[in-house]
Amino acid sequence: MKKTGWILTLFLLSGCSLRVLDPASPYADKITRLIYLSFGIMMLVFVVVMILFVHFLKKFHETSDRVDEIPVDESGNRKLEITWTVLPVLLLVILAVPTVTTTYQLTSGASQGEGGQDKERVIIHVKAEQFRWEFTYEGGEVSYDKLVLPLDKEVELRLTSEDVIHSFWAPNLAGKIDVFPDKETRLVFTANKLGDFQGKCAEFCGSHHALMRFETTVMEASAYETWLQDQ
Amino acid sequence: MRLPIIGYVLSDVIVSWIITLIIGGFLLWWLTAKRKWPLILDYIGTTDNRKIGTMYILFAILFFIRGGMDAMFIRTQLAVPDNDFWVFQADKYNEVFTTHGTVMIFFVAMPLLIGLMNIAVPLQLGANDLAFPYLNAISFWLFVSGAFIFNMAFFFNAAPNAGWTAYAPLSNDTFTSGPNNNYYIFGLQISGLGTIFTAINMIVTIARLRAPGMKLSRMPLFPWATLVTSSLILVAFPVLTVALLLLMFDRFYGTSFFGGEFGSPVYWQHLFWIFGHPEVYILVLPAFGIFSDIISTFSRKRIYGYTSMVISITLIGLLGFMVWAHHMFTVGLGALANSVFAITTMLIAVPTGIKVFNWLFTMRKGVVRMTTPMLFALGFIPTFVIGGVTGVMLAVAAADYQYHDSYFVVAHFHYTMIGGTILGAFAGIYYWYPKMTGKMLNEKLGKWHFWLFIIGFHLTFLPQHFAGLNGMPRRVFTYTWEDGVFLFNFVSTIGAYLMGISMLFVLWNLFKTHRSGTSSVDGDPWDGRTLEWTTDSPAPEHPFPNVPVVDRLDAYWYAKVNQTNLPQTKDVRPDPISIRTFQPILLAGVLMVMSIGFIYHWMWLQILGGGSVLAFFLIRSWTDERNEAYRKGEKS
Repeated sequence: MKKTGWILTLFLLSGCSLRVLDPASPYADKITRLIYLSFGIMMLVFVVVMILFVHFLKKFHETSDRVDEIPVDESGNRKLEITWTVLPVLLLVILAVPTVTTTYQLTSGASQGEGGQDKERVIIHVKAEQFRWEFTYEGGEVSYDKLVLPLDKEVELRLTSEDVIHSFWAPNLAGKIDVFPDKETRLVFTANKLGDFQGKCAEFCGSHHALMRFETTVMEASAYETWLQDQ
Repeated sequence: MRLPIIGYVLSDVIVSWIITLIIGGFLLWWLTAKRKWPLILDYIGTTDNRKIGTMYILFAILFFIRGGMDAMFIRTQLAVPDNDFWVFQADKYNEVFTTHGTVMIFFVAMPLLIGLMNIAVPLQLGANDLAFPYLNAISFWLFVSGAFIFNMAFFFNAAPNAGWTAYAPLSNDTFTSGPNNNYYIFGLQISGLGTIFTAINMIVTIARLRAPGMKLSRMPLFPWATLVTSSLILVAFPVLTVALLLLMFDRFYGTSFFGGEFGSPVYWQHLFWIFGHPEVYILVLPAFGIFSDIISTFSRKRIYGYTSMVISITLIGLLGFMVWAHHMFTVGLGALANSVFAITTMLIAVPTGIKVFNWLFTMRKGVVRMTTPMLFALGFIPTFVIGGVTGVMLAVAAADYQYHDSYFVVAHFHYTMIGGTILGAFAGIYYWYPKMTGKMLNEKLGKWHFWLFIIGFHLTFLPQHFAGLNGMPRRVFTYTWEDGVFLFNFVSTIGAYLMGISMLFVLWNLFKTHRSGTSSVDGDPWDGRTLEWTTDSPAPEHPFPNVPVVDRLDAYWYAKVNQTNLPQTKDVRPDPISIRTFQPILLAGVLMVMSIGFIYHWMWLQILGGGSVLAFFLIRSWTDERNEAYRKGEKS
């Protein structure tokens, strides 16, 4: 455990810019907050267990004068057992409430395809096939393995697959959504940072699954229009 | 490399042919020179639970070496960015991680636990064997048969390559033609059948063959865990059987359960995880049972909160059936389904937490002896808690949209599966080794094994959480410098090698223990609490000529404390009848022949194998080894 301590520190130092924790959209930002919340609660649990663990081991390990000692018999303690049943339930409630609300916000955002705000949304059709991404924009423009998005505009991706199941993942921008050959899935988010972001296929899809990547570039709305015209 | 007749084969397969021939030849020579054949025949024909249990563990270790080597290849290929290690890229890499996962789950973790159940459960109950010794031998040889079918694939250059989850449509014949995934289907189908029989056997044994006075509320926790696990197997494994059968029909006969107009690939995911999630509890609950017994023994205290421990494993088992869709959060099942499954998943943390605290409080005020089995049990607690808390983090459905199918998940399930199941199996092997062989494993080497393994383990899997958070998906054979996951992967590879080295200490330990002519130990080397320690080491075929009478939990311990002997009785149910038979191995053999017929679409072999299997069923239907015992009973 000591060894893991310094490694952990090392990783935390290099981990400040981990892509999942470096959101570039309100969607990804919500998840990041949720991750920090769950991590905090869970660390609390872990620390409590570790304190008891270390303390009991220090205090009750066998020493030369205790070789023949037979400890007092005890079968349990109702109050203590109720404590460590109820407290975890409370912690889980604290976690479950934001889990459900965020899950509803993010998931229904993706399925409300024909909603009223449709006109505001930029709709991009995504076609996944072994091992390439094809993006078709509203004007029929097409790009491969490169997705270009306008800044601060809600985007709706409509994803289908030509062959097996793939999964669309651009960790800075949004969570994954699986891409199926027999149905259309949707993903809605708004990029709010300029820049290039990595994207990958996250569902194992065959020989070159590892190479099925794409790059997402978020540009100013005007630059986006110009880029589209150049296609 | 292109070979005459055989065709195109990569060099790793050729190297393994040569190595297998050399080792196989050496083994044959050694067995003959040391005159070991009678011993081998004795084991092949046995129905004794201890011998079968020992064979389960031996084969599990063999496959552990195979799965471990796969892991080494994976980690070597991923050690640095843009790596080109040997042949392990693209398809070959996909084969390696597929076999690694499948072998470790079905042919390492399962047989390790079932082996320990075979050895310890009847002894802990005061039973002379499992309820159905013949069926037990069938189970074992079906496992061996399935494992051989699965492992054979690599040597015929056709290793399965669709991941251990074999998601359709990738696993359909459209996208993975060739025999590769047929091996997967038949390997799992046959060994799964054996597992179902074992479950029935364990349930009946526990229901019928407990020592007089051992109510369920006085039963040690390992048999309890076995009972719950067996019930889970009985429900979950048939689902896998159905799923594999449907997949087989899609691949062989052009049905479209998992594709086409009326089918859907999501059906496969549902079926697979309705089996797959209970499966992880099937794997971890027996380990919980082992740890409960070990922590109690080496703290010299009865297990804290026995009743809540029993309720907890039962609850975990039940909840385990209601969480499968948390493997499918990104499928788009909708917010309601995702929320419900998120909450049921979180709920499992409660009974698991109860167990952790009960283990901790078993040690409190006890005398904690740092033996090798106890070290593994102690290493389990923090490790499994990390795996548990990341499990709760993964249960947060929205957050799982990020974690899903990334290295975060890989890290999580290795923390639970290695931290729970494998550490549990190691602990159990060190603990019950005297019952298996009559000898103790060397404690010093055991501790070396523990420390190297646990340090190597955390080095390997802790960094993978961060690799996942930095966007590394699982099942990729390469990554780039820009991905920013080099350091995590490099440390991970170092850790994996450390774990590999630690396993050499196990081999050395086994060699040393059996080489140096160490004398046998007495029946109770650990100062144990349960009935297995009242028998000789190794446990004889008929361990309880007189069955002890039990009046409380850990009755043997309290008898020792009060310096009395456990009362004994001869008035018990008739013992299961053990026989010497070669039918089980032959049946497993013809099932394998039939499977190969299917794998390569050779109709004549299917008919030949299938006919022989039916013949075995008929023979068995008309034999009853109890007849002789009945006759004896009538005479007396």
